[in-house]
Amino acid sequence: MITVSPQNIANSESKIDLANLSPEQKALDINNLNLFYGEKQALNDISMAIPKGQVTAFIGPSGCGKSTLLRCINRMNDLVDGCRIEGQINLHGQNIYEKHVDVAALRRKVGMVFQRPNPFPKSIYENVVYGLRIMGENNRRVLDEAVEKSLKAAALWNEVKDRLHESALGLSGGQQQRLVIARAIAIEPEVLLLDEPTSALDPISTLTIEELINDLKKQFTVVIVTHNMQQAARVSDQTAFMYMGDLIEYSDTNTLFTTPAKKKTEDYITGRYG
Amino acid sequence: MTIALKSVGSRQLKNSLARWLITLGGVSVLFTLVLIFLYLLYVIKPVFESAKIEPVHSFALNNQEKVLATGLDELQELAYTIDEQGRIQYFALKASNNVSVGEKAFDLELLDQPLKRVISGHGDKKLLVTQDNNIQLVAPRFQATYDTGTREIIPNITYPLGEEFIAVDEQGVALQHIAFAMNDERAVFVAFTQDGRLIKTNLLADDDFSYDPAYSIEYQEITLDSKRVDEVKVTPDAAMAFVRSADRVFVFDLSTDDNELKATIIPQLEQNRTKPQQLTAMALLSGSSSVLLGESDGTVSQWFEVATDNGREFKKIRSFDVSNTEAIKQIYTEQYRKSFYTLTAKGEMGAFYTTSENDLWRGSFTSKVPESFVISPRANGLLMLNDSQLSLYSVKNDHPEVTWSALWQQVWYEGYPEPDYIWQSTSGSDDFEAKFSLVPISFGTMKAALYAMLFAVPIALAAAIYTAYFMTPELRKKVKPTIEIMEALPTVILGFLAGLWLAPIVEHNLPAIAMLLIALPATVFFTAFAWHKLPKEIKAKVPDTWAPLILIPTLCLAAYCSFALSPWMEAAFFGGDVRQYITNDLGIDFDQRNALVVGIAMGFAVIPTIFSMAEDAIFSVPKHLTSGSLALGATPWQTLIKVVLLTASPGIFSAIMMGLGRAVGETMIVLMATGNTPVLDWSLFQGMRTLSANIAVEMPESEVGSSHYRILFLAAFVLFVFTFIFNTLAEFVRQRLREKYSSL
Repeated sequence: MITVSPQNIANSESKIDLANLSPEQKALDINNLNLFYGEKQALNDISMAIPKGQVTAFIGPSGCGKSTLLRCINRMNDLVDGCRIEGQINLHGQNIYEKHVDVAALRRKVGMVFQRPNPFPKSIYENVVYGLRIMGENNRRVLDEAVEKSLKAAALWNEVKDRLHESALGLSGGQQQRLVIARAIAIEPEVLLLDEPTSALDPISTLTIEELINDLKKQFTVVIVTHNMQQAARVSDQTAFMYMGDLIEYSDTNTLFTTPAKKKTEDYITGRYG
Repeated sequence: MTIALKSVGSRQLKNSLARWLITLGGVSVLFTLVLIFLYLLYVIKPVFESAKIEPVHSFALNNQEKVLATGLDELQELAYTIDEQGRIQYFALKASNNVSVGEKAFDLELLDQPLKRVISGHGDKKLLVTQDNNIQLVAPRFQATYDTGTREIIPNITYPLGEEFIAVDEQGVALQHIAFAMNDERAVFVAFTQDGRLIKTNLLADDDFSYDPAYSIEYQEITLDSKRVDEVKVTPDAAMAFVRSADRVFVFDLSTDDNELKATIIPQLEQNRTKPQQLTAMALLSGSSSVLLGESDGTVSQWFEVATDNGREFKKIRSFDVSNTEAIKQIYTEQYRKSFYTLTAKGEMGAFYTTSENDLWRGSFTSKVPESFVISPRANGLLMLNDSQLSLYSVKNDHPEVTWSALWQQVWYEGYPEPDYIWQSTSGSDDFEAKFSLVPISFGTMKAALYAMLFAVPIALAAAIYTAYFMTPELRKKVKPTIEIMEALPTVILGFLAGLWLAPIVEHNLPAIAMLLIALPATVFFTAFAWHKLPKEIKAKVPDTWAPLILIPTLCLAAYCSFALSPWMEAAFFGGDVRQYITNDLGIDFDQRNALVVGIAMGFAVIPTIFSMAEDAIFSVPKHLTSGSLALGATPWQTLIKVVLLTASPGIFSAIMMGLGRAVGETMIVLMATGNTPVLDWSLFQGMRTLSANIAVEMPESEVGSSHYRILFLAAFVLFVFTFIFNTLAEFVRQRLREKYSSL
């Protein structure tokens, strides 16, 4: 059985009412989202609002659809063959699944970090400025500034400032993951999606990334998928528990871990399955 | 327990057995490769060895008479001497049952008159000049008999112009110098008489000299602008006479009755020399178009006629510094090859090869010019007479025409206007000189490979990128194996189709081929654009998998239009015939089997190789890298260019290099579709000959152990080195790229 002490729960004092968020407080608004892989339905009628400037965690057993839901937010599921989506996800009140949405532009606003660190086989510098370069930014000064700023924000600057032009593949796993985060925030997105960002890392790197997430929410709305309930408890403000494609429970992290409203949630957080 | 132990034992046995088998396999592959390499080198090596001349026998002649000439048979079994008394005596050069080496074997009388001089002609003919200035032509020959059950060689004297004396000078004056040439129809004598006339005497055969010595005679006088004559030579085809006089050589054209002075060679004028030189020796090189001149400062120069702006002129082609101090006393040339031997007054001997400028051998066996010096008919022995001592030397000089520089640098061959790179290994003519320059065929290999790569690389890479990156998985599963099966297509079929079917089509539809280059890519873009603009309702009816197949009918249509428009274009812009236009108006030579055809056919053969490897490389770029790029807002195209191709670059590079290696080594297609002309020309409309095709074409015809045979092995070695270099380079670059770009 997992016990979560109140000290572990971040930002427990600034509670917000998830059910009644004002439009300014909402970063994302998911309405009646259904997702099908071919004939198989993977997400069932998900509706939730993700508050701005906070960390929201998706937890649940393997195959529950939490990563799928995350990937819907920047339309990475478009790349999957036979994937069909119904419903809406609103960013600034605009449905991102509308016909004329420029997917590339959407992804610039909704950045994503994957489970495995995936730096490009380029220098550290070129990795960070990749997003800027594809937007056509080639001004050296702008790029230099962005590199320093992003790497500082990703708490990597001190470790790599002397070898910016060396290959990114020479970094350790934890450093690579922070580099990837720096790369994602270099284009200044509004929302940052983290898909199990520490599952491939050692405990010390995990701790560094978790501290980083805490800093990041000052600037960005962070949505994180994690297998690790303690991690969800440590870093998130809100937690959503998903099971078999359904959103079972969604509330502030403290409430969800201490007094879950649903039986399934309690079974999961107490380790009965998953 | 016992069962368990047994099973452990058998497992270990299997394990070690497998290990040994695998090691054996690996080692034997390496060993075979090294063996092939060594065998090639073993066959090639003799080509670069220098000549060896070594004494074999030497024995004293016991007769008192002065020897005027010597000779020997082809197999070096008998040597003969012709002495002042008109006798010919034979000595054994090989010990047999009844004679030992140096023993007199036969003694015959050639003429019952004492002789003054004997002049050697082309082949085995000897011209005898008696004390009374009578002239007689004899040919000492040899016959093998098997009467006693063993092979015996028996001398046989023939008189090609009959046993009567020949009246060379109409006025019967004694002759100072005489030279002759003879074939089946006529014999030509050029002589300088005691009273200062240069005469030419034609003996015209009544029928054919080879079986009837009857002839009619014709006398002519040649106008000579000199009172002094040192030496006279006539070419074996009796076309030219060379008359050496002090510092110059007069060349007369004997082919007409005018006997015109064709040229005067004055080596003095060629160079700025400090002191005037005299010509001290002259010889005609085999093949009868070159003359070798020896000078008093110890140089030998080769001259032949070259086409210049002022007509044909004798030019100094090359010279050899034979001696620093001594004048050249004698020059002897081989009967069939372009080798020559020089002798100075101190007996210093040198052996050289003209065309390859090969300094074969230097040394000395005597301290003065030997009384007689004969090169054996097969050029593998020398017979020298010095102080009544007859000596036989063996000559090991099988490949004088091959030197590293002759293979890779321009060589000035006889009859060519300038030095050039030429590959021409055989010809119908006997006195043809083989020309072995590896440059045109190495060039041809490169040219064929280059054009094939120009055709194949863009198509193969575009196909690989599309299949690996854009195509739906279901279609990819069908397309990839299909293209890979193309690789198994026997190249002989491709070559055959290219040579017999494609080449005429290309020739007759050149405008269509040119149009296709533009029309096909344009059609692809246009179709894609039209598809993009099509209403969704129609697009939805075609599954994504099959959408690219729409290209097939549009491409066919574009190809059809190109071919349909071709005759019209030809009529409108090229005066009805593009081939004529290219040849006449543009001045470009046009071969039907040209680089264009080879580029297409061999490109077709190379595409599957490049496609398959490049597709694998692109497809194996980790998906998380692609996703990472897309998640940063990159379009699929940007992702492809900036991440996918970069990460796949080691694989793409090795795919291209493997394709190049295949194109370089490919044989059947180039053999059948290139025309196999070893020309040095980048032109798209000309053929080429490649190293591999050259080996395939000529190996069956080359005599084992000949220079040609060994040079073909050398060509194989060069091919081996080419592919070795490409593969090593590919591997090296690939490793470097992989260190830099391969991901996780």
